[in-house]
Amino acid sequence: MKEQIISILEEIRADVDFEREGQKLIDDGILDSFDIISIVSEFNDAFQVEISVEDLLPENFNTPEAMETLIKKLQQE
Amino acid sequence: MAVISGVFMLFVAVTALLYFLVKKEWRWVVLLIASYVFFWMNSKWLLFIMAGSSLFTYFIGRCIHKNTRTAAWILKENAAVLLPADKKSIKAEKKSKNKKFLLLGLFVNFGILLFLKYYNFFGGNFNHLMQLLGIEARARSLDLLLPLGISFYTLQAAAYLIDLYREKYAAEKSPFRFLLFMSYFPLITQGPISRYDQLAKQLYRGHEFSYERMTRGMQLILWGLMKKLIIADRIAIPVNLIFDHSSTYGGVLLLFAAMGYGIQVYTDFSGGMDIVRGVSRIFGIELAENFRQPYFSRSIEEFWRRWHITLGAWMKDYVFYPLSLSRFSKKIGKVSRKLFGSQTGKKIPTFLAMFVVYFFVGFWHGAQWKYIVYGLWNGVFIMSGILLEGRYVWLCKKLRINTETFSWRLFQIARTFLICSVGRLFSRGENLKTAFSMIKGMVWTSGRSSFANAVKGGLGLTPANWILLLLMLLLLVAVDMIHEKGISISGFLGKQNLIFRWVVYYLAILSLLIFGIYGNIQGGTGFIYQQF
Repeated sequence: MKEQIISILEEIRADVDFEREGQKLIDDGILDSFDIISIVSEFNDAFQVEISVEDLLPENFNTPEAMETLIKKLQQE
Repeated sequence: MAVISGVFMLFVAVTALLYFLVKKEWRWVVLLIASYVFFWMNSKWLLFIMAGSSLFTYFIGRCIHKNTRTAAWILKENAAVLLPADKKSIKAEKKSKNKKFLLLGLFVNFGILLFLKYYNFFGGNFNHLMQLLGIEARARSLDLLLPLGISFYTLQAAAYLIDLYREKYAAEKSPFRFLLFMSYFPLITQGPISRYDQLAKQLYRGHEFSYERMTRGMQLILWGLMKKLIIADRIAIPVNLIFDHSSTYGGVLLLFAAMGYGIQVYTDFSGGMDIVRGVSRIFGIELAENFRQPYFSRSIEEFWRRWHITLGAWMKDYVFYPLSLSRFSKKIGKVSRKLFGSQTGKKIPTFLAMFVVYFFVGFWHGAQWKYIVYGLWNGVFIMSGILLEGRYVWLCKKLRINTETFSWRLFQIARTFLICSVGRLFSRGENLKTAFSMIKGMVWTSGRSSFANAVKGGLGLTPANWILLLLMLLLLVAVDMIHEKGISISGFLGKQNLIFRWVVYYLAILSLLIFGIYGNIQGGTGFIYQQF
């Protein structure tokens, strides 16, 4: 799943190295609100989940791993 | 009681003295009393509107909290016997009930704001429309007064209720503590628009006195006063002169007025923020940051992430995200993909949400069409920037422009500043007609006063004042550049020896006393954002 997440992220923001250690995509201001909406829309289609506005917290989008955890949680619900 | 006045400084000193004299557990009460005294001195009986809104918001918050807790308790107690469908239905029922509470809370809070701030705007437009249709119906204009900071505390109340609905945190138990969250005096005049989860705990905890923290607070106050009194109120003189006689000036002078107003509003608003953040720091309470060197932005989109950050963040969390992820938005997305293809089509719902956001940003500033156009001006540039991004990259490649160079960055910064400044003609100009006429006058200068004549007159400032203004602007740019590099000037000063520190403080105080523009000493000087 992680590879697919990174491939989606890279498609939206080709200029960012998403696998760099220690970076926080939201807290460090790397992703903006437009990117977030694009990412959510792609994730919803790719993983058959419905990410809601309540899930749009920095901690859920700071790293590809956090995004993976969120998607898995939503898939289980 | 204006924030820039001797009375306010005395008020802060007395409040701080009382705050640190009483027992720790009662310190928040000192802040509550001080906040209500401050509000009373500014808005008198309108205080009851603010107190009423606060208590109502508190009550709705409790209702949402209780309903959420009850549903959680039922789910927990009956976890073994409930079928997944039952659990889903309990959650749906909770959500539906909470939504009703939320809507009621938002309706009352925004209803009061809409009525007091926008009634005459809607009435006037209604009358205009009726006149156009030839119908004899008139809405009476009302002489309404606004409670201090209503545009700011209403957004704070709405954020609190929406967060409770989203189950982000638990509701406040004490009505009195909640009254303090809604009225905390440093932020009631012009923000920052604060979030309950970031501010409340700091407010309620009794902080120890710290000399080091107080010094850092005072430094911030001093710098804020310098920005406001030496730069903002000085540059306001030529800017006001040109805006007040905009039909007589032309060309570069109008562009100067627009840019000058950009500097004025930045130093006025960020100066005010520094003062209130400094005051709050004395009590040990850190307020949210509202500015991050906005004029170093390379695009309008970046500018709005660095300018009035708390308003932008509010709009993002409570308007942009919910709208972008709404069912309506998804439907629009499906239709637009069919019409415009996958790439452009999927951007359309986001653009619509953005359009709504900037409409609200403009409208929030004031009940006039010019503010709406001001908001949309910014929105249009952001949308076009995203839509044409690919074309810009292609063009840069074709023209062999190296986008990693300093000169290109400088060009982007200057371009952003120019777009922002021209947009400000809408917010500062008397009305839309004046703003458009000023834009026209920048290019079409016939019949307008020449640049040479106006400069000879000094535009209301003596040569010495112009030199001082220029030096202060250089200092401002230097300070912003240092902050941009992530260096804390306050931290640097703290490490220096006593003599050096005090020389700097004395110089700052002296420059304030000598070079500050003191309009009305008794009433103090007002802030631009106070009126919004």
